[in-house]
Amino acid sequence: MSVIMEKLESTLNTILKKNEVNSIMLELDTESYLETNIKTVKLLQKKGLSGVYVSIQRPFKNISSLLKKQGIESNKIIFIDVASAVSKETQEKCKECVHISPELDVDELVKAIYTSIEKMKGKKFIFIDSLTTFALHKPISETFRFSEFLMRQVKGKKDIVLILNVAKDLSHKKFIQDVVLHADKTIEVKV
Amino acid sequence: MIDTKNLAKELNNLEEGAIFLIETDASKLLEVHLAAMKWFSEKKYTQIVLSTSRPCKNLLSLYKENGIDTSKLMILCTCCQGKENNKQKNSNVIHLPSQSALIDIAMSLSYCMERAKDKKIVFIDSINTMLIHNKPDVLAKFIHSILTKMRINNVSGLLISLEIETDKELRAEIAQLCDKIIKI
Repeated sequence: MSVIMEKLESTLNTILKKNEVNSIMLELDTESYLETNIKTVKLLQKKGLSGVYVSIQRPFKNISSLLKKQGIESNKIIFIDVASAVSKETQEKCKECVHISPELDVDELVKAIYTSIEKMKGKKFIFIDSLTTFALHKPISETFRFSEFLMRQVKGKKDIVLILNVAKDLSHKKFIQDVVLHADKTIEVKV
Repeated sequence: MIDTKNLAKELNNLEEGAIFLIETDASKLLEVHLAAMKWFSEKKYTQIVLSTSRPCKNLLSLYKENGIDTSKLMILCTCCQGKENNKQKNSNVIHLPSQSALIDIAMSLSYCMERAKDKKIVFIDSINTMLIHNKPDVLAKFIHSILTKMRINNVSGLLISLEIETDKELRAEIAQLCDKIIKI
């Protein structure tokens, strides 16, 4: 499915209403990657969802500040700061952010996501900002295991939606195609 | 000739701490480099330059010719491989063994970011030269780590790459990490 950015809202609205789709793969233009990420989170929050933002691309300090500037309430989001962990940066303690170890252990990350999501009430989202950036730091097999495990966990649950983001120019990669096969819906977002 | 007014307009729109990728062609590369350096120099930024294509001696001479303030400048030179070490009087030059010495480069960048007190920018010229000396996935991982470090320290960033010649996948990996892509 292919939508232009302006239609992303109505597409997500339809998906969220139906409750039949739990995992969505978004294929984004590299030129507007961050913009689309922010817009998606804003839409999810507008629909009353709270959630977990797994930030692989950017450190917590940066992404939380960018989201706040766009009027997104950060108290309804728990961030998991993967970027700082893999760059072996000192991580400041903060109640909105969960830190993980620099080894980027998939089991530890999944546990952190589930511990965080359990703290939230109502309908929730799990937002993975970039699977291909994840794959820079872990073998393809582990990246696939991570996404496949999350997709399996959310399947059939009416209160959780999983959003996996990839850059469109990298979506032809074999492991991304394998993830696409397992996702309930793939949406190509055009500028 | 590049449109320096247009470049300045794009740069004016960027917030402090933003990281951007400039894509240009080979014939404009140096001109873009110098125009961007001049803009940041006029805005009183401390500029940390990772030079992968030109030796520090040549760069310093070009900066002086173009009225770029070299007192607020740190060059990480991967080109002259220390040959200019003894002759180079400028203490703001750090000589690194090669373009593939990524750990040395990362450590030196961290050192420079900590040392500079004012608003700072890290300037990487160019992605394509780095790609000659490093595997694309290794380079992408390195760039991701550096950009994270810069974002944590609120350091701006400018990466220059050749529009057509960059490996398509590497370009996508890096472009999605940047706040803005400027084509010149």
